[in-house]
Amino acid sequence: MFIMKHSLNRWSDMIYWPILDLLIWGLTIKYMTALSLNPQKMIISFIAGMLLWTFVWRGQYEISVSILEDLWSRNLINLFVSPLTFWEFISAFIIIGILKAGIGFIIASSVAFLLYKVNMFALGFYLVPFALLLFMTGWWVGFFVGGLILRYGTKVEQFAWSMVYLVSPFSAIYYPLSILPNWAQTVAKLIPTSYIFEGAREVITKGILDPKKILYCFILNCIYMALAIFFMRKSFNKILQKGLVKVY
Amino acid sequence: MDILQVANLTKQFDLYKAVDNITFSLKEGEILGMLGPNGAGKTTTIQMLLGVLTPTFGSISYFEKSLFNHKEEILEQVNFSSTYTKLPENLTVLENLTFISYLYDIKHRKDRIIKLADQFNLNNLMHMQCSDLSAGQMTRLTLAKAFINYPKVLLLDEPTASLDPDVADFIRKFLMEERKKFQVSIIITSHNMAEVEEVCDRVIFIDQGRIIANDTPEGLAKTIDTSHVELLVKDGLKRTIEICHEKGMKYEIKGRYIVIDVKEENIPVLLYNLMEKGVYYDEIAIEKPTLEDYFLQVVKQKHESP
Repeated sequence: MFIMKHSLNRWSDMIYWPILDLLIWGLTIKYMTALSLNPQKMIISFIAGMLLWTFVWRGQYEISVSILEDLWSRNLINLFVSPLTFWEFISAFIIIGILKAGIGFIIASSVAFLLYKVNMFALGFYLVPFALLLFMTGWWVGFFVGGLILRYGTKVEQFAWSMVYLVSPFSAIYYPLSILPNWAQTVAKLIPTSYIFEGAREVITKGILDPKKILYCFILNCIYMALAIFFMRKSFNKILQKGLVKVY
Repeated sequence: MDILQVANLTKQFDLYKAVDNITFSLKEGEILGMLGPNGAGKTTTIQMLLGVLTPTFGSISYFEKSLFNHKEEILEQVNFSSTYTKLPENLTVLENLTFISYLYDIKHRKDRIIKLADQFNLNNLMHMQCSDLSAGQMTRLTLAKAFINYPKVLLLDEPTASLDPDVADFIRKFLMEERKKFQVSIIITSHNMAEVEEVCDRVIFIDQGRIIANDTPEGLAKTIDTSHVELLVKDGLKRTIEICHEKGMKYEIKGRYIVIDVKEENIPVLLYNLMEKGVYYDEIAIEKPTLEDYFLQVVKQKHESP
């Protein structure tokens, strides 16, 4: 009980993940039931959502977990006593994230094609803006989580794995927005990824894409990115006030 | 020429003032010792000198340029090593040094790493994961890391802690040689007073965030006027103790020895009194005051003050 009192990890294991799973899989099953007459559509929708989500997840994970690893290994001070700038530090994570996600996506897409005959590359040119915009969402979540970790240290490390999933029920990854209750649809309008997953479904099923979806997603991503970068920079300045050595 | 100038440096954490208005400088090729009891403000000062802690007040200039305005440019020529920080343990020694060499944009990095491995006796450890290194090996690695960019200023926080005496001796000699060859300026914190006396040209003593002394190690030791006279008494220990009580001298029995604290000018008087009372001793050693005595006196005063 004493450990519970001080551990965010244990609280999130107990409350956060079961609720999140229930929301996502409950809504997904509801959608699948509606589509039960067309199993191939179901498979495509499901696998496309899963593969595209890796861009969001990888973008966020690379930033937050890499910062955490530097805290765990007490390496942050070695980095910042060198001529490395804060922006070089962040850019490195972004570049590695793009490379890893690119390789991961190609491999996973090939497996999806071989096993389930789902061709992700049928998204064609749309795949490029989709991937970039999904990355952007991952990055701003990553910057925000990175800011929290810099500010509060490893006691909030659980956010590095869990925070991005907070937007997943509203992102319509495996099901359309129409499945969501009205209040959740309103929230989804503020979540950039919802436009991309809806758009991807449109491209797969109808072969068209409303360019407004790309535009809305981009605008929202830019706003959140600016706020997250501002927060992370403030957090970094804050740890310079209390000393890098004291963060872990 | 002053390589580093620190003026009125202050760091306040909420109500606690960790560093209080300190001013000092570091000359080219000088080794400056920074001493003080735990919590005196040494590490806080080092962190501010490295730009990883923002001062509340004051200025830091390297090469006559402000650290706050020319941080990256200055940090190219400065480096740091501490026993309190580590390098990533899931990387090998070679990978860590290679990574650090990229951070400093080292030209001919392979040659540089080979040379450092040679100098710090890391050759056989290059492909070993850092998690498998002993504390001493890790310290040697962090020191190699600190020299990777041919620094003009080196900040070393407890550089020889946890090292075997022979390795610590090698490090001290290495530091002095590098200083001689390349005019490297070094700030060193250490709890090993003998080491500070050996390598440092000058010492600043920090207590409760303030510089309370700034002198050569010999100069600081000289402020203590009490020597230690160590006797192996063959006959007359009781009489020796009586003399100490009569003269108001402090003494301590250490096994077969008695150690008497006595002012340097009173040593002949003590020896005369011992002879007069018929005290026979087999061995005598007179220890002049050291930097450690100065350190102990400051700490003692701190505990005695209300």
